[in-house]
Amino acid sequence: MERTEFKSHISEQLNRNLEDLFNQVLEMGGLIERQLENAVTAVQNADVKLAKQVLKLDKVINNEELEIDRLCARVLARQQPTASDLRLIIIAIRIAVDLERMGDEVVKTAKLVIKMDEEGVACHTLPGFSSLLEITTCANSMLKKVLNAFARLDLSEVMDVMDDEERMDETLKSALAEVTEGFKTSDLPPECLLEMVYSLKASERVTDHAANIAESIVYLVKGQEVRNIDPEKLAEYLQSVTE
Amino acid sequence: MFSSGVTRELTWVITTLWLLLFFCWLTDWWVESLIAYLVLYIFRQLWSMRKFEKWIEGGTVKAFPPASGFWSQLTYLVSRKQRALEKHADLQLYKSEQFKSASMLIPDAIVSLDQENHIEWFNASSAKILELRRQDVGRKIEGLIRQPEFIHYLKDEQYQDTLTIHSLQGVQRTFSVRVIPYFDSHKLLIVKDITELYNLAQIRRDFIANASHELRTPLTVLKGYLEAMIDTPGEHQKMWAPALQNMQNQSDRMQAIIEDLLTLSKMESETFSSEVEVVDVPAMLTRLRVEVEQLSQGQHQFSFHIDQDLKLKGYAEPLKSVFMNLVSNAVRYTPEQGRIEVRWFSDSDGAHFEVEDNGIGIAKEHIPRLTERFYRVDTARSRATGGTGLGLAIVKHVLERHQATLHVDSLIGRGSIFSCNFPVQRVVHQRSDSAL
Repeated sequence: MERTEFKSHISEQLNRNLEDLFNQVLEMGGLIERQLENAVTAVQNADVKLAKQVLKLDKVINNEELEIDRLCARVLARQQPTASDLRLIIIAIRIAVDLERMGDEVVKTAKLVIKMDEEGVACHTLPGFSSLLEITTCANSMLKKVLNAFARLDLSEVMDVMDDEERMDETLKSALAEVTEGFKTSDLPPECLLEMVYSLKASERVTDHAANIAESIVYLVKGQEVRNIDPEKLAEYLQSVTE
Repeated sequence: MFSSGVTRELTWVITTLWLLLFFCWLTDWWVESLIAYLVLYIFRQLWSMRKFEKWIEGGTVKAFPPASGFWSQLTYLVSRKQRALEKHADLQLYKSEQFKSASMLIPDAIVSLDQENHIEWFNASSAKILELRRQDVGRKIEGLIRQPEFIHYLKDEQYQDTLTIHSLQGVQRTFSVRVIPYFDSHKLLIVKDITELYNLAQIRRDFIANASHELRTPLTVLKGYLEAMIDTPGEHQKMWAPALQNMQNQSDRMQAIIEDLLTLSKMESETFSSEVEVVDVPAMLTRLRVEVEQLSQGQHQFSFHIDQDLKLKGYAEPLKSVFMNLVSNAVRYTPEQGRIEVRWFSDSDGAHFEVEDNGIGIAKEHIPRLTERFYRVDTARSRATGGTGLGLAIVKHVLERHQATLHVDSLIGRGSIFSCNFPVQRVVHQRSDSAL
C-alpha cells in the first residue's frame, strides 16, 4: 500500500469513508496514549485523582471502538472494497480491538493506585514497582511507534517494537520473581502484592497488544501475514522489506 | 515620429528603392525589376519571421535572431524584456529563499496546513518539537499529533483561543498551541514551548496564595489581643487609647488586603470550585444598595436603574465582589453630595453593568494600568479611604472568567463611568418573582 492520501478512488464517498476510518483509529490511539501517560504519572505520584480519571476515560474509549466497528461495517456494506482498502478495514477492526483491550489493561494499573491509597501503602515500597514503571513507559513508547508507523505506513520502526516486546517479557519475569520473594519475606498485605502482580501482567499485556498492532500494520502495508512466524524469520522479512 | 524599428525598416526600403531605380534607369527593365524587388522583399520578411520563431522557441544553439531591419529591433526588445523578467524572478526567488530560511530558524514550531489539515510545509523546529519528518508532507496532522485535546481544538475551530497542553509527543513539557487561519482557508499551526513561563507563573500564583494564607493566622492573633486591650478598662487607656485604635485600624486594613489577595489567587487558579448558575443580579444589586448606602453614610445621592428581568449565567460570589468593588470605589472617590448612578441593562451586545459618578475622575494615562495589583493613582488618597489596591484586579479576573470586558471612561474633575460588558450568551431573561 503505497499511497497515503485517500484520493485514489473515483467514488468520493469511499475516499471519505476510508479517511474517516483511518483518522478514527488514530484518534482512538491518541486517547490510549493519553491513558498510558496518565497511568505512569498516577503510579509515580500516587495520584488517586488522576487514576480515577483514567477509569472514567476508559468508557469513552469503549465507545470509540464501537464507532470504528460501525464505520467498518458501513464501508463493507456499501462499497465492498478490495485489496489494500479491504486490508485497511480488516486491520482497523483488529487494531480497534487491540486498543480497547489495552485501555482495559491500563485501567488495572490505575486500580492499583486507588487500592494502594485505600490500604494506606505507598506504591513505591512495593516490590516490582520500578519494573512496573519501566514496562508502562516502554508500552507507551511502543504504542507511539506503532501509531506513527500506521499514520505514515512506514515499517522502519516495527522491528524496534518487536524487540521491545521481547525485552518486556524478560522484565516481567524478573519482576514477578521479585514479587514472589515479597510474598515470602515482606510484611506487606498480600492483597497489595496480588494487585501488583495483576498490574504487572496487565502492563505486559499492553506491550503484547502493541506488538499485535505492529503485525497488523505489516499486513496492511505489505499484504503479508506475519502472525505466528518465529522472530528470526520475522526480523529477516522486515529487513528485506524496509531496505 | 516613427519608432526605431519602423525607422530602420523604412531606411532599408528607401535605400534599396534608390538602388532599384538606378538599376532600372541603367537597364530599362522597369516592370520586371519592380516585380522581382517585391518578391524579394516578401521573401526576406518571411525568412526573418521564420528565423525569429526559431530563435524564440530556443532549443538549438544554432538559432540566431534575424538581423535585418524591423526584426533586429524586435529581437532586441524581446531579449531586453526577458532579461528584466529573469532578474525579477531571481529577486523573487532570493526573497522567498530568505523568507524560508528565516522561518526555518524560528524556535517555535510552525506548520502550514491546507483546509483538510494536510501538512504543506513545516520549519526545522517542528521536526524537533512535533517529531515531523520530511515524508510527512501531505499527511493529515491529526494522525501524527494525536493528543485528544489537540484534535478537539482543531475540530472546534475556535482559533482565537490558544490551547495549552502539558505533554506533546510523550514529552512532559508545557506547550501553547495556536492555529491562525491564513491565505484562503489555509492554516498556520504554531507550537511554542512555554514550560519556563508556565512554571514561573505557577510559582508566583502559589507564592501569593501561600503567603497570604500564612499571614492570616498571626494577624488574627494580633487582632484578638488588640481588641482585648481596647476593651480592658484601666489607667493605660488614657495614654494608649489612640495608639491602640490606630493599630486596630491598620490591622483591619491588613486583613482586608490579605482577604483580597486570597480571593485573587482563587480567581487565578485554573478551576472555580462552584458550578455556573443563573445569578439573580437584580436581587443582588438591591441588597448591595443597602450596603453602599451605609458605607456612604448619606453623603451621596444614589440612583439605581435596574432591569428586574435581566439575569446572568455565572458565579454568584465573585460577581457580587465585582459589583461591590465598583460601587464602593465610586463612593470613595466621589466627594460629599456627589451623585452615583448604577445601571443594569441589556442590548443587542449583551448585558451591561455601569457605575457612573461625578467624582474626582482619573487621568487618561492611569486608565490602562488601573487593574494592576496595588496600582494607585494617588497613593495618599486611596490609603486614607481604606482601599486595598486589589479591588480592580479582582474585578478584571472575575470578568475574564465571564468572558466580559471592563471599560473605563473618565474625565478629571468630571467623574468616571466604569462599565462591565457581558457577552450575549451569558444573558438570561427571566421574569423574577420578587419584582411582582
